[in-house]
Amino acid sequence: MALALGPLILFSLNVLSAVVAFLTSYFAYRFERVADSPLLKAITVGFMLLGVGLLAEAGTSVALGQTLVDVLKSRVLAVLATFTYLSIQVLAYVIFAAGYCYVAFGRGWKVASAAILAVVSGRIVDFVGFYRFAVASYFVALVLLAFVVFQGVLIHSRSRSSFSLLVMLAFVLILLAHVVLLVSVIDLAGVLFLAGTVIQFLGFVSLLVFLVRSARVGPA
Amino acid sequence: MGQPEKPRSTLRINLDILNAIRDEGDAKPTHILYRANLSHDRLVKYLDELVGKGLIEMQQEGENRFYRITSKGVSFLIEIRRAEAFIQGFGLAI
Repeated sequence: MALALGPLILFSLNVLSAVVAFLTSYFAYRFERVADSPLLKAITVGFMLLGVGLLAEAGTSVALGQTLVDVLKSRVLAVLATFTYLSIQVLAYVIFAAGYCYVAFGRGWKVASAAILAVVSGRIVDFVGFYRFAVASYFVALVLLAFVVFQGVLIHSRSRSSFSLLVMLAFVLILLAHVVLLVSVIDLAGVLFLAGTVIQFLGFVSLLVFLVRSARVGPA
Repeated sequence: MGQPEKPRSTLRINLDILNAIRDEGDAKPTHILYRANLSHDRLVKYLDELVGKGLIEMQQEGENRFYRITSKGVSFLIEIRRAEAFIQGFGLAI
C-alpha cells in the first residue's frame, strides 16, 4: 500500500529527530562521569524517552497511514498507539524540566518539580477523552518546554557560548513546534500538524549542529 | 559582595596539572606546582595518581625529576575538552 505524502514526511522527520535524540542521550551518558550532575542524568533519560516517543509516533503514522490529525478526524481506533507516544514524550519533557529545576533551585529542586507537576497535572485532569488527551499532552509539553526554554535563556545569558546558544535554539524551536502542534490538534488542521513537525525537526537539527561542534573540539 | 568561589573539583585539578605538563613538554615539579596552584604534598599525591593511570610518565635525570604527558594523557585531555563543550551547552561546568 502506497503511503500518503503527509505520513511519509512525518515518518522521515520523526525518525531523523529520534536519531538525534538518541545521539544526545548517548553523549550525555558518556560525559556524565565527567560532570556528575542530575541534569545530565535527566538529559540522558529524557532524550532517550523522546527518541522512543518519536519512533513510536513515526511507527504509528506508517502503520495507520495517517497523521495524528487524520486519526482525530476519522476517529480510527489508534487510541492506544497515539496515547503511548504522547505519554512518552510528555514524560521526557517532565524529566528535562526536573533536571533544569535541579540546576536552577539546587536542593529545592524536588519542591519546584512537584509544583510544576501539580500545575500541569491539574490541567490533564481537566481534559477527558482521546481528543482532549491529545490537546492536553501538547499543552503540558508546552508548559514544561516553556520552563526549559526559560532556563536555557538564563544559562545562555550567563555563558554567552555558541554551545548554550545552539541548545537554547533547539528548545525554542521545539517549543514553537509544540505551539503549532497544539493549534493543529485543536483546529484539526493537517497541514499545520506537518508544519509543527518540520519546526520540531529544525530544533533537532540545531541539536545535531551542537553535537557535531562539541565533538570536534580539539586540544586547547 | 560576590559569591564565594567554588573549590576546584579533583578533575579540574588533574586537568590543570595535565595542561601544565603538556605545555612545558618535560615539566619540572616546581613548574607544575606553580601552574596548578597546589601545595607540594597535594601535587605529589595527584602526580602519583596520574602516573598510576598512565596519563603521565616520570623521568629521573640525576637529581632532577621531569614529567611528560603520554598519548593516553593527550587523548584524555581531548575527551575532557569535548565533555566540557557538551556540558557547557546545558549550563554546567567541570
